[in-house]
Amino acid sequence: MATTERRTEGTAAATTRSTTVPALQGAWWKWGMGLVMCFVIYGAFFIAGGAVGFGKTGDIARIVFFHVPGAILSSVCYFVGACFAGVYLFKQFAPEKAAEIDAKSAIAMELGFLFCILATITGSIFAGMQWNSYWNWDPREISIVIMLLLYASYLVLRAALAARPTQRAKLAAVYALVALVPAQYLIWAVPRLVAFTNHPINVLFEQERLSTTYKIVLYSSFLAFTMLYIWMSQLRFRVYKLRTHVEGKRG
Amino acid sequence: MTTATNSAHEIGISWWQQALALLAKDLKAELRTKVAVSAVGVFTFASLLLLGLATAVLKEVPTVKIIGLIDPITVADVINKMHPAWDAPSKMGMLWVLFCFAAFAGLAHSFVHEEETGTVTALRLSMSAEAVYTGKLLFNLIVLLVIMITVTPIYMAMTGMSVGSLFVFLLVMVSGCIGLAATATIIGALAAKAQGTGALYGALGLPLLLVFLMLLLNAASTIYIVDAPTLRVAKDVGGLFSFGVLIISMSVMLFHFIWEE
Repeated sequence: MATTERRTEGTAAATTRSTTVPALQGAWWKWGMGLVMCFVIYGAFFIAGGAVGFGKTGDIARIVFFHVPGAILSSVCYFVGACFAGVYLFKQFAPEKAAEIDAKSAIAMELGFLFCILATITGSIFAGMQWNSYWNWDPREISIVIMLLLYASYLVLRAALAARPTQRAKLAAVYALVALVPAQYLIWAVPRLVAFTNHPINVLFEQERLSTTYKIVLYSSFLAFTMLYIWMSQLRFRVYKLRTHVEGKRG
Repeated sequence: MTTATNSAHEIGISWWQQALALLAKDLKAELRTKVAVSAVGVFTFASLLLLGLATAVLKEVPTVKIIGLIDPITVADVINKMHPAWDAPSKMGMLWVLFCFAAFAGLAHSFVHEEETGTVTALRLSMSAEAVYTGKLLFNLIVLLVIMITVTPIYMAMTGMSVGSLFVFLLVMVSGCIGLAATATIIGALAAKAQGTGALYGALGLPLLLVFLMLLLNAASTIYIVDAPTLRVAKDVGGLFSFGVLIISMSVMLFHFIWEE
């Protein structure tokens, strides 16, 4: 309706805008995501019971529904960002398309930073309840803080080069790929090499250790968090497109 | 890229010879000015002293023994008790923390001075990116090895760190140097290109080195296990060594994106 009105006004800007900036589409899955998220919040407190071995009542185990998806998503985001960085470096694109890929890489990193902060905070709360200390120097805890630092230094590099977009894209992509090595070590090598950890390494894939209700809520939570991530990155990308559009208008 | 490879092909020298030529040039310049070695060396010694002063209260107190009854305290015992009361792996870890800071204080120089003196364009024209990377990496590695060979014995005398199993100790030190030099080189190139100050260099490099230090501490604990199983040594030292190798292979793939305009 809105687009037809604009077209009757006959402004050229409206047509270019509708072609360059994709409209928000697919509202159904966003509603679906809201429902799944509601289910996760309800399920975390009313469907799943307390777990044995977690405090007196077992209630603190419920944080797993928000902590684990956030933590896993934060490392997935880094991987996504690094993939875009690799595509940016190793494939040839027209300048506008290349800038878009760079923006996608940066968006993945920013959202990863956000999820990483959330995972650190929820993890610290859980540690405080479970082990009576908000910080235990557990290898996984150290890992997530280092992950946080890797994200932060990527963003520092981008901020330092804000005035030179092309160089920023190239150097940030190189940095993202170099820092992929320690990021992968944190995920795969450190929990196995460094002996002592409070965290389970492989619970998610060991069938008998998670009860069915936990599985249902946890997997829905993974789904909800992933969709949230996709939606947020779509929004960020839309903001980026609008900003470049406005800057292009200004000349 | 095309000009560089063309000129190299015309003269008929391989990238390896180019890298060695760059290394020889850097070493000659280093022997004249001694900037890198003295900067890294002075930084290491100053922080070593600071560390010693800051932890002076942590000295191990000699346990009270009744002299003349079972075994009297010898002079050597007393001297040994004057060292900081860290265990051997943490002494090793502290040494490498010093090395990491020192490397990031001094090694940025190798790329920055090319930018400062304006020789970077000539270098870019006459050599391939891989040759430049290899030359700079070898130079940084040599500087680090020289610093390591001089500082480690003094550090051991001052803190009473023992060698443990000598073979594993040497393996850890050398793989540590490779990892540190690899990280410092690629981040140095990045920071020089970003025309950043030392602060940016540290902020980009140290998060990477945290993972490296975790692996190093893990390997350091292996040094002091008496008769450690070979598998454990291979796992821990291999984990440390592979970090350097992976960073180097990543850098080789990516360096020309930084280097070429």
